[in-house]
Amino acid sequence: MQVEVSLTVNGKLYKQNVEPRMLLVQFLRDELRLTGTHIGCDTSSCGACTVLLDGKALKSCTMLAVQANGKSVKTIEGMAENGALHPLQEGFHQEHGLQCGFCTPGMIMTAADLLSHNPSPNEHEIREALEGNFCRCTGYHNIVKSVQYAANKMQAS
Amino acid sequence: MANIDAFGHVTGTSIYVDDIPVMQGTLFIKVFDAPVAHGVIEALDYSEAEEMEGVVKVFSYKDIPGENQIGGIIADEPLLAEKEVHFWGQPILLVVAENEIAAEEALHKIHISIKELPVITDPKEAFLKGKFLHNSRTFESGNTENAFREARYIFEGSADSGGQEHLYLETQGAYAYPMEHGSIKIHSSTQGPTQVQRTVAKVLGIGMNKVEVDVARLGGGFGGKEDQASPWAAMTALVSWVLKKPAKCVLHRMEDMRMTGKRHPYRSDYKIGLDKDFNIIAYEATFFQNGGAAADLSPAVMERTLFHATNSYQIPHVKVQAHGCKTNLPPNTAFRGFGGPQGMFVIESAIDHAAQKLKVSRESIQARNLMENGYQFPYGQIVEGCEARTCWEELNAKYPIEGIRKDILTFNENHAFLKKGMALMPVCFGISFTNTMMNHSRALVHVYSDGTVGVSTGAVEMGQGVNTKMLQIAAQEFGLDASQIKLETTNTTRVANTSPSAASATSDLNGKALLDACSQIKARLKNMLWVKNDLEAGAEVRFEGGKVWMEGMEEPAIWIDVVLDALARRINLSAKGHYATPKIHFDKIKEKGHPFAYHVYGTALTTVTVDCIRGTYELEAVHIVHDFGTSMNRLVDLGQIEGGLVQGIGWMTMEEVAYNNKGRLLSNALSTYKIPDIYSVPKEINTHFLPTDNNNMAIYKSKAVGEPPLMYGIGAFFAIAEAIRAFNPDAPLHLPYCAPMTPEKVLMALYGE
Ligand code: FES
Ligand code: FES
Repeated sequence: MQVEVSLTVNGKLYKQNVEPRMLLVQFLRDELRLTGTHIGCDTSSCGACTVLLDGKALKSCTMLAVQANGKSVKTIEGMAENGALHPLQEGFHQEHGLQCGFCTPGMIMTAADLLSHNPSPNEHEIREALEGNFCRCTGYHNIVKSVQYAANKMQAS
Repeated sequence: MANIDAFGHVTGTSIYVDDIPVMQGTLFIKVFDAPVAHGVIEALDYSEAEEMEGVVKVFSYKDIPGENQIGGIIADEPLLAEKEVHFWGQPILLVVAENEIAAEEALHKIHISIKELPVITDPKEAFLKGKFLHNSRTFESGNTENAFREARYIFEGSADSGGQEHLYLETQGAYAYPMEHGSIKIHSSTQGPTQVQRTVAKVLGIGMNKVEVDVARLGGGFGGKEDQASPWAAMTALVSWVLKKPAKCVLHRMEDMRMTGKRHPYRSDYKIGLDKDFNIIAYEATFFQNGGAAADLSPAVMERTLFHATNSYQIPHVKVQAHGCKTNLPPNTAFRGFGGPQGMFVIESAIDHAAQKLKVSRESIQARNLMENGYQFPYGQIVEGCEARTCWEELNAKYPIEGIRKDILTFNENHAFLKKGMALMPVCFGISFTNTMMNHSRALVHVYSDGTVGVSTGAVEMGQGVNTKMLQIAAQEFGLDASQIKLETTNTTRVANTSPSAASATSDLNGKALLDACSQIKARLKNMLWVKNDLEAGAEVRFEGGKVWMEGMEEPAIWIDVVLDALARRINLSAKGHYATPKIHFDKIKEKGHPFAYHVYGTALTTVTVDCIRGTYELEAVHIVHDFGTSMNRLVDLGQIEGGLVQGIGWMTMEEVAYNNKGRLLSNALSTYKIPDIYSVPKEINTHFLPTDNNNMAIYKSKAVGEPPLMYGIGAFFAIAEAIRAFNPDAPLHLPYCAPMTPEKVLMALYGE
């Protein structure tokens, strides 16, 4: 059985038939080939799959594609605008907030949610926001700095 | 210079194995694995599974055209189990279907009956029952028997450390497809492309020249993809080869955790002897390595435990022995540090034991026993370029140890239920594969006719930044901007017979080979320029800023003009570089030699606060002085220190690999196995560079940095132990040296009688 979903991803409307049990993350990766959203676990623990759903950070492995019907999704591929990196992307780049990069898209999307409702978070608030995102390569310090970089940059502009 | 992959990572455009667009007709593999840890397969029926919609075929060992063998060092591990299974999660069958869901469903239609056999999970039990994976080894220097007779103080005890799940965020996976002329191409998430190539060739019964392995990057490896990436690659190759279709296998996290090996748990006994001034004069240890069900890399891991059994200490009489014990766990494997951390934990425990009994601080014993130049390691190598004491003293100068200790005492006096503790952790780690024959590498460089450069090496990028360093080397050698250089994927048809990216030696080995390749091309260009410009042979030629400067010429030549000129003269602008680490050797009969190109040194000071009501702890700060040599990329190197440290802290504190007595993994998901999250890392990490300039064995004198920092994490264990003792002075009796120090264990120690 297939059901139709229609959702906006990175500003573009998609109407597609999917298996009802298809996860949103599979829809993004396998149907739309947006493979910047990663899968790191089976238990909704790692945060590698985080996207924005109507502006809120969401682990896209916790939701079925059909549940996202009518909603708007933003993935890492939608962060840069007109060829210019989003300040968060710039931050992770500048502050070496990454090593293998596998956790990076999820970190950035989670942080994007934070900055959208708290433009100048303190260190504690950054850590609180990112507590559901694992990184196995870094010690997180540069990740915090990367978010601070973005916050400062967004404040300045 | 920032990581060259950073742009791809932040835009989501970096490609990992699971991101490669699959071709039409790709088949998906699900592994049917053993539901018990030890037993004889009595019946196995997969006919129902094979008939399900979407299922193409179920593979058993009988479908393997070549050898059913994937053992790297010792041929003792089948790709697919035949008659017996030896660990829970051991692959038995492969279900191949048109999509993953069909394959998954078919798994449930396989019927197996297994006669269970006794399960061993404890290496000491295996030892007593005579179950070994490989030969026991002993490193010895001086005469411990005599020395113990002379020792004023002798302490004996045991120290155990647990396993550790790699938890590379990208799980194991591979994608294979048939190519022309009976060959096959595999994209594998592996640290060892050649190892995959060799394994696939063996399993398929074809030549290695028909197997092409390509690696773009890994989402983390940490040793877990050194040998253990091979099975999944071999499975995709097998299916693809037999069915003549592309085949993909990417493990889910729980499959990965269940089926793959981890850091070796060790149980160990020690005996330490000190003279009246607390000099350590004798040390003995016996290590029982829990190797799991097959040898995998265990012999090499065990060897490194022996190499690093005395850490940074100068001990005249040493006898350390290790046994590779066979148990019914998944074959344990490489993990950052490679057996070194397990050995160091034991001597640190022995020193702690002595300090408790002698009522002196740990650091007073550590400090007086640090090694100096000229000391001979128990394995025969003479210590040169030693920075053990320099690092220690530099740390003490920046963070006066006595002052910190005083502050802690005051804090502890003023707080009933919060206690602080501190620990110093010196590290001395040898760089090189201890198997001398693996210390060689190659690189391939092409200069194209537009002046841009393509670089291939045997190094695998897994987040450690090796490709960034390779690019820096090529840019520096040709005097070009980084944008002119491209790092190619690691591919066995371009660079062959490589050693895995491991042993912290990847940048040194591949960097030096790359240097050689660049030098060859430069030499040809120089020759041309001398002749062309009527210069004396040997006149200095510098490649810098996109220009070529020649001694005796006022104006520099432009790089691209030189390149075009060379091509017009039919000069070869490609080169294959080679490097084999000089000087190193090791005699495994005598157990003596000079196995390491050099050693890396450092010291860390860790402070913690324990909540004595909850048993939880916070890492306040870790201050590190580390011997980087002349770091060629501070950003990358600092990242390695921080990441390694945190991984080491995880191993020592919160990461608990738990099996039940039937050999079933209990900590089998990211929900039940805890790696450090953003809250559990030290609040402060300060890393100071100890610049040293004497190491020509390191690439650009920039010393290897991958593994050594992991062992700084051992300090966390002893800092927590100290805080516990501040609350419960009787605790030593109830606080065995048994890592990880989970909050549960802390709580028990806090209130133990
Ligand atoms: S994949 Fe791990 S949280 Fe979604
Ligand atoms: S950079 Fe590798 S997991 Fe975060």
